[in-house]
Order: sequence, then C-alpha cells, then structure tokens
Amino acid sequence: MVDYWNRIVWPMLEGAQMTILLFFIAILVSIPLGFILTLAVQSRFKPLAWLSQIYITVMRGTPLLLQLLLICFGLPMLPVVGEYLVFDRFVAACIGFVLNYAAYFAEIFRGGLISIDKGQYEAAKVLGLTKWQTTTRIILPQMFRVALPAVANESITLIKDTALLYAVAVPELLHFAQTAVNREFTIVPYFIAGVIYLAMTLILTVFFKWLERRYKYE
Amino acid sequence: MALIEVTNLKKSFGNQEVLKSISFSVDKKEVIAMIGPSGSGKSTLLRSLIHLEEIDNGSICIDGDFLVKDGQYANQADIRKITGKMGMVFQHFNLFPHLTVKENLILAPKLRKSESMEEIEKRCMDLLRKVGLSDKANAYPSNLSGGQKQRVAIARSLMLNPQILLFDEPTSALDPELTGEVLKVMKDLAEEHMTMIVVTHEMGFAREVANRVIFMDGGEIIESNEPEQFFQHPQHERTKAFLHKNWK
Ligand SMILES: Nc1ncnc2c1ncn2[C@@H]1O[C@H](COP(=O)(O)OP(=O)(O)OP(=O)(O)O)[C@@H](O)[C@H]1O
Ligand SMILES: [Mg+2]
Repeated sequence: MVDYWNRIVWPMLEGAQMTILLFFIAILVSIPLGFILTLAVQSRFKPLAWLSQIYITVMRGTPLLLQLLLICFGLPMLPVVGEYLVFDRFVAACIGFVLNYAAYFAEIFRGGLISIDKGQYEAAKVLGLTKWQTTTRIILPQMFRVALPAVANESITLIKDTALLYAVAVPELLHFAQTAVNREFTIVPYFIAGVIYLAMTLILTVFFKWLERRYKYE
Repeated sequence: MALIEVTNLKKSFGNQEVLKSISFSVDKKEVIAMIGPSGSGKSTLLRSLIHLEEIDNGSICIDGDFLVKDGQYANQADIRKITGKMGMVFQHFNLFPHLTVKENLILAPKLRKSESMEEIEKRCMDLLRKVGLSDKANAYPSNLSGGQKQRVAIARSLMLNPQILLFDEPTSALDPELTGEVLKVMKDLAEEHMTMIVVTHEMGFAREVANRVIFMDGGEIIESNEPEQFFQHPQHERTKAFLHKNWK
C-alpha cells in the first residue's frame, strides 16, 4: 500500500503541483492582461482597437493546442530569430496559456462593460465624478460583478486545459498518470487523476460561489 | 437676475432639429413644470442644461456664469463648476446598484473632499430622514421599491447642496400607487423654495406645486404661464389639444 502510494500517487501529486502552478500563473497574468485588452478594444486610437480585436479573434478562433505547439516547437524553427525563442517548456506553456486566456477574459470583460446602463455614467457625471472616478468607483466594480460567473466558468475550463501540457511534454498531473499506467499496467492512475482534477474544480466552484454571494449586492 | 437664462438654444440629432431656438429663464425659487407630447424635446432641453447633451448654438447661463455662450462652451473646469450647481433626478433612478443607500449618498461628497466625513454622514442621515428612509441606509437598491429608489435618488442629488434640481419624469417609471410618496418629497422641496424644473406628465403636480408651466411641442416652447391661467385659459390651439387629451 505504502509502495503503491510512493510509486503512483506521490508522483501524480507532484505533477498536480505543476498543474496548479500553471493555473495560478495563467489566471493571475491573463486576467489583468485581458482587462487591458478590453480597454484597448474600446480605445479611440483605432489601429490599437483593430489590432486588439484581431488578436482576440485569432486567439479565440484557433485551438489552444495549436498555439502551444507553435510556441514550444514552432518558434525555435524560425530562421535567424529562432535560436532566441527557445524557452523552457514550462515557461513556453505559461506564455501560451496567458496569451490565449487573455483573449477569452477580454471578451468576458467586454460583455460586462457593455451590459452597464448608460444611466450609470450619467448619474456619475451629474454628481460631479471625474472620468477616472466614474471608471474606478462605478463602472469597474459592476463590470467585474457581471463578469464573475463567466470568469468562474473560464477558470474551471483552464484547470482542465492544463492537461494540454501533456502534449508538449511538461511533466504535469496527466503525464505522471500516463507514466504510471504504462509502467504498472493498471488504469487506476487515470481514476486518481480524475479525482484530483475533480477536487481542484470543486474547490474553484465553491470559491466562486462564495465570491458571487459575497458580491450579490442584495 | 435669473438663475437660469437660456437664449436661442438650438440642438439637432443628425439632421433632425430637436430644439429650435429655445429661450426662457428661471428665477430663484421658481418651480417649473415642463410638459408636452412625447418627442417634443423636453428631456433634451433638461439634459442640455446640465451638459449631458451638447447644444449646437445659443447660450445657457447658470447663476451668472455661461456654461455655453453663442455656441461656445466654457472650459472643462468651469463646466464642472457650473454644472455642479445643479442636481438631476432621472426617470430610471440610476442608483449605483453595487453601493448601499448610504454609500450612494456619500460617494460624491466624499470624493469631492471639501468636508469632513462627520459632516457628510450627518447630512446623509438628515436627508434620509427627510425622505423617510432612515431605516434603509444599509439596504442595497435592489431591495427597494421604485418609490423608495426615487426618494434615495433625490436625497443623493441633495447631498451636494445644489441650487437647482432638474427632474426628468421622476414618477413615470413608478407604479401609480408609488408616485404619491415621491411627489410628496418634491412638494416639500418646493415649499423650502428649492429651484426646480420638473418634466412631468403629472398634471396634478404641475397644477398644485409649480409656479409656472412650460408647454413644449415640436422642439419649441409653445406656451408658458402660471398654472391657473395655463390650465383654465390655454392660449394656443396646440396647448388646448394637448390638455384635452392628457387632462381630465
Ligand atoms: N441620443 C439621441 N439620438 C438621436 N435622436 C435623439 C436622441 N435623443 C433624443 N432624440 C430625438 O430627439 C427628439 C426629442 O427627444 P426627447 O427625448 O427630448 O423628447 P421628450 O420630450 O423628452 O419625449 P418623452 O416625453 O417621450 O420623454 C425625439 O424625436 C427623439 O427621437
Ligand atoms: Mg423625455
């Protein structure tokens, strides 16, 4: 039993650490980046708005796996600059996830932004709030609140998407599960992996439900 | 000197002329009821006064300062100062849903930083008492009835001590049984001699509370008179037709 734990479960838990690390890096960087993208799309400086929109469309319109493969294996093959674009696999994966998820979050925040009634801006204006105060005190809090359920969904998808690291050979949870399956000739590791993913998504679900209740404004 | 002086105000949306050379003035302590058919430009006129719409030509002078003179707007800082003398109450309340009643009231004066927090909180509670909502200070707007929301909105606009209050159909979004409580608050304000312009369909309010009724149609002021005269002896055909349809 102890043996079983040491040979199978323990490496998988270590792999899960990688998964969790990637999750936090991706969430913590792509949410602010997505927010900046949202602002860029709304920008009055048209070239910036268009570029951002094209970026979002491309990132959302192509598979994350393709983007990961491109960053891990494609970029280093480029002539001249390729040799400077060889990243550590995990770093490359982080870049891929951040770039991809930022586009999704941008779209989510934009939805939150356009859901805000123009009466909110008008009330703020007649109360003498500056543009900055209106944005930070009135608009953003409401935007984040509206976006919260979609952000929760996206985060749960992100946990499961980390399994794509398997394809670029970063040793995460699924990688150790597969190794154990091959070595021990048992499918149990698959189930253990499933339980670990499930635990992670459940924790996230509970956390976001709590956030939603906390900011219900009732 | 008039508190509000509007001369030859013109405003178009695209090629639709919505306000056609409007001139009128409002004295201190006057309560104006502004009535007229849908699309006649009442809201646009009211919103122009507080710079929610930019006019194309003409002048708006508030308490001696030109918000816009012959189509030329004052600079940003002056616009803020001038519009700061007015408060506005909207048809749909426009309370901030993520803030409690108290926070809704306190936000603007707090950000303005010209008074201590104690003074602001005291005025907040005084005003909530005045509109009969002391017990709702910590409620969120979503838990209030329409009439309560509108009373909060009125209290909120009073937090900045405006000289003029503008109302755009303050009771139109309310169930009929809730209009009374809002009209009562407005009536109290009129009795305290707050200068007010009220766009309304409430003929009863226009008649009892206003000092003057302005009737608009097709982007023009057709008639302006004290309520008795206005309702008993309307001068213009269009006024008569409107009153015939909308009153009694
Ligand atoms: N933002 C806008 N863009 C284009 N046209 C507008 C805009 N706002 C108002 N209008 C038009 O201007 C005219 C006057 O509108 P306004 O809202 O001032 O009328 P109103 O007298 O307040 O009517 P109601 O009683 O229905 O509120 C209408 O024909 C309306 O369609
Ligand atoms: Mg209107």
